[in-house]
Amino acid sequence: MTNITRRHFGIMAGASLSALGLPILSAPSLAQGKPRVVVIGGGPGGATAARYIAKESNGAIDVTLIEPLKTFTTCFFSNLYVGGFRDYKSLTHNYDKVRKGGVKVVHSMAASIDRDKKQVVLAGGGRVPYDRLLVAPGIDIKFDSVPGYSEKAAEVMPHAWKPGAQTQLLVKKLNALKDGDQIVMIAPPNPYRCPPGPYERVSMFAHVLKKKGFKKSRIVILDPKPAFSKQGVFTEGWEKHYPGMIEWQDPKIHGGIKGVDAKTGEVKTDFTNYKPALVNVIPAQMAGKIARDAGLANQSGFCPIDAASMKSTVDPNIFVVGDASIAGEMPKSAFSANSQAKVAAMVIRAELTKSRAFPARYSNTCWSLIAPDDNIKVGASYEPVDGAIKASNSFVSQRNESADLRKQNYKESVDWYQGITTDIFG
Amino acid sequence: MRRAMPARRSATRLLAMAGGMALGLLASPARTADVEYGKHLSAECITCHGASKSDSTIPDIHGLGEAHFVEVLRAYRAKALPNPVMQSIAVRLGDEEISALAAYYTTAKRPK
Repeated sequence: MTNITRRHFGIMAGASLSALGLPILSAPSLAQGKPRVVVIGGGPGGATAARYIAKESNGAIDVTLIEPLKTFTTCFFSNLYVGGFRDYKSLTHNYDKVRKGGVKVVHSMAASIDRDKKQVVLAGGGRVPYDRLLVAPGIDIKFDSVPGYSEKAAEVMPHAWKPGAQTQLLVKKLNALKDGDQIVMIAPPNPYRCPPGPYERVSMFAHVLKKKGFKKSRIVILDPKPAFSKQGVFTEGWEKHYPGMIEWQDPKIHGGIKGVDAKTGEVKTDFTNYKPALVNVIPAQMAGKIARDAGLANQSGFCPIDAASMKSTVDPNIFVVGDASIAGEMPKSAFSANSQAKVAAMVIRAELTKSRAFPARYSNTCWSLIAPDDNIKVGASYEPVDGAIKASNSFVSQRNESADLRKQNYKESVDWYQGITTDIFG
Repeated sequence: MRRAMPARRSATRLLAMAGGMALGLLASPARTADVEYGKHLSAECITCHGASKSDSTIPDIHGLGEAHFVEVLRAYRAKALPNPVMQSIAVRLGDEEISALAAYYTTAKRPK
């Protein structure tokens, strides 16, 4: 796929989508009016796809976005809110420009998908018919993956891994800590949303404690994984900025996470019982309920897709993008979701309006803030190779980089946030 | 690797410092650049460059001259300009893709 040129895909587009390895579906009859695309989920994947389909089809496709919330608070950059670098409002976006871009935005919960009738059933009972459906529900938390943890327990021990009230609760608890108080984070197993996210969050915890002048507080990370994203540069940064404050334990050290007790506030491992002032439990994750209920997920809890199109391998009329999908070597991130959404939007337009189709190409970069002006990044380009999305040209920040470079990374991340949120929400 | 993709003057200066003579300073966009393909490829650029302001670390690339656009992307592809994000993106762009992007961006307006 790497060396396919314009001439190649010009021929491919002129011939058929089958050259891209996509099943050919009959276009909806023009007698039925405009082809209809319905998008479930107004986050980085869904809102991007809805906007691009509406914009690029110039009104030839009827696009409906179903999202229960009237404003969307981004999970990405929420760690900067935890660290006091951003206010909550700056992470919150509305759908006014999505609407102005020609998308019908329906603020309702999508209750189920009737795949036989090609309709989305709304919580109120209404039905929205589609010719193509794009599903971008993000993740659901597997509460029972940590013994003793539950939705109720999350009110005491927040996960804060979905944007909104949970993030605000975490910040409230963080800001109430006194010097000497302990924080314990239970990190998630793979695969999960935002691989460097837990470790950036711990960095932000430490930054807040340091800024308050706390000398005695400690942070313990109980990790079910033997290694984590950008580990070398994170640990270097922790030693530099927060010496002795952060302790990361892999399974060999903690011996196994036995569970939590929200009533007593305890966290138990095979070797130690902790009773910290703040517990941040980030459990295992799975695709959003509507995708699982519709049978789009496999036994992993996530949704298999065709690498060249983001089309569900279960239903050729449905596409799944973002954290709910199994996107090969791409991490679950807003950047990935935005990138995948553009590929899906292009393929959907090609199927419905006979517009040109191009080979899929994806990209991702994840920036993480360790301390003020000390930002690290990891990223790669991606494309379909032998039926799976594979990484190429990957890069990651290195130890001993200059302060200037790390500061430049931070500025770049702030500009990226402005860019991607404009791309998603208008 | 010291700086992210700088503004165009800085990029040109860096190019010269990097010995850009080997990197396509004489490059000219293909006469038959496929603007539609360029527009498609630009979706990858917009994620970061779509909301750039004059003081952004990530520069505004809308309206850049074709020759300059080609020159800078080829320099990133050759890793003569330092940002790894841009290097990763540029490495998989062939001359045809770069020409298509340049042809599109020379007249493209920043999204509003």
